[in-house]
Amino acid sequence: MNITEFVIISAILVGIGIYGLVVKRNFIKTLFSIEIIVNAANLNLIAFSKFNPITSSAGQITALFSIAIAAAEVAVGLALIILAYRLYNDVDVKEFRRLRG
Amino acid sequence: MDFNTPILVTIILAVVGLLMPVIDALRRERISNKAYGIAASVTLAIVIGVIIFNILTNNTSNIILTNSVLSNDLFGAFFSIAMLLVSIISTISSIDYMRKTPNPAVYYSLMLLSSIGMVLIAYSTDLVMLIAAWELMSIPTYVLAAFKKRDPSSNEAAIKYFIFGALSSGLLIYGISLVYGISGSTNITVVIQSLAHIDESLSFIALLAIVTFAAGFGFKMALFPFHMWLPDTYEGSPTTVSSLLAAATKKAGFAAAIRVIVIGMSAFSVEWGLMFAVVAVLTMTIGNLAALTQKSLTRMLAYSSVAQAGYILIGLSVAPYSDLGISSAMFHVMNHAIMKSSAFIAAAAAIVSISTVNIDSFKGLGRRMPVTAIVLTISLLALAGVPPLNGFWSKLYLFTAAIDASSTVTWGSYLALAGVLNSALSLGYYGWVIRKMYFEPSTSEKVKEPRIILGVLIFTLIFMVGFGIYPTPLIEFSSLASPIP
Repeated sequence: MNITEFVIISAILVGIGIYGLVVKRNFIKTLFSIEIIVNAANLNLIAFSKFNPITSSAGQITALFSIAIAAAEVAVGLALIILAYRLYNDVDVKEFRRLRG
Repeated sequence: MDFNTPILVTIILAVVGLLMPVIDALRRERISNKAYGIAASVTLAIVIGVIIFNILTNNTSNIILTNSVLSNDLFGAFFSIAMLLVSIISTISSIDYMRKTPNPAVYYSLMLLSSIGMVLIAYSTDLVMLIAAWELMSIPTYVLAAFKKRDPSSNEAAIKYFIFGALSSGLLIYGISLVYGISGSTNITVVIQSLAHIDESLSFIALLAIVTFAAGFGFKMALFPFHMWLPDTYEGSPTTVSSLLAAATKKAGFAAAIRVIVIGMSAFSVEWGLMFAVVAVLTMTIGNLAALTQKSLTRMLAYSSVAQAGYILIGLSVAPYSDLGISSAMFHVMNHAIMKSSAFIAAAAAIVSISTVNIDSFKGLGRRMPVTAIVLTISLLALAGVPPLNGFWSKLYLFTAAIDASSTVTWGSYLALAGVLNSALSLGYYGWVIRKMYFEPSTSEKVKEPRIILGVLIFTLIFMVGFGIYPTPLIEFSSLASPIP
């Protein structure tokens, strides 16, 4: 396999993630979409780190950072989901129509 | 003594920020909201003191590019001071505003942790540091926006903010991965050097990286296609938190954008100036038009904040063609931080005293809450750019920069014209609020104004009027701190 295939796959994954964010109304699916985008970036980072003629481990380190960051972010997201479920008994974004202007 | 300001600031804020919830959990009797608020405010004041001391003793360089992760430069110091001033304003006001809310220790701790993120964004010269700091700033603010647990609109605000914030950081990581692929490094200096000699076949990927960076930062800066979350979030979250979001985290977006896009990408010759100019005009116009029809003060301020992002973007878009570009944008960043937080804190005072921010119920506020009404009036006029207030000078500099750039690019003068027309438009809705407060009679009684918030409001009033009459120190500071690409 060469580098182009990895880049194309990760671009497709980013596309899927953005599609999910725009189209899906369920908040848990929204979280999945965000994870897909972050992991597409991680795939890119690791592939570049492996195939780059200038060998550097910076890409792998960045990927580790981004995994940790995404985990922290998802933890907060899940807390917000639990709170929303207690308030609305649903996790559907379409319930959120209180704020309109 | 040789120390590194960003690291020292991080240590001070992190120690206090992490100790507060621990102390709260260990002690049996409740410590009052006030004690935590004062502790957090004093810490922020000390940190601002450290940064100013470091500037005065000339420990700060104005070299913007280094090979290290954090650079102790004037640019970072400038943005840190602007954002920490907003943090301290929001923190002190929270003592009154969040009086009845449970878990004060966690609230102030999150404020301090978010401030660390802002400071580190301002100083970071490495993309990995930048993304880590970006998340350190954002994640506490998601929680802060949802801090009123029983209030569904606070939760809704936080969820909308979370979705867009998470998307923005996802896009940023993707942009970093592309830049890393091109240059083999995440250091901004190395990235610039390799973008300057980029292979023709890779230029598409470089362009994609710029677009993802612009989108990622654009969500925080509330630029035109990415501004939908902002009015809902600012209206629903606690007003002191909205002040932090509008005036501080947004500025962090600009700090990062100047570091990465303006300095970083200027090596890569793409016409991003025109792209930014178009976005600037759209952002201003849409923000101002939407603000005209709002009934709630916080929502109106949110749309006006979108419009102000457009003004600041004028400075960034003319940066390659005019030396004034970045320094005028930074001057407006500092002024806007104070003006906007002042307006939001005045709204917070209205919530504490008359528990509404509906503009219709502001009738006769000039007599019911005299100090709040005066400060709100002054900050709205400053936002509109009325002389002799500080907002006037920074807008003047921004439009001068745009006209200065028109000798190289033809769209410069149109950009200045659009800015002037938008300022006139914005006076429409600001003037409407002022008219409601002073020229419409009300039968209601005079109410008690929250005392600590009044102190904060008087400070911002002095800042706005003082630097309006004598703006030279701020102008000099921003031009010293601005990196010339």
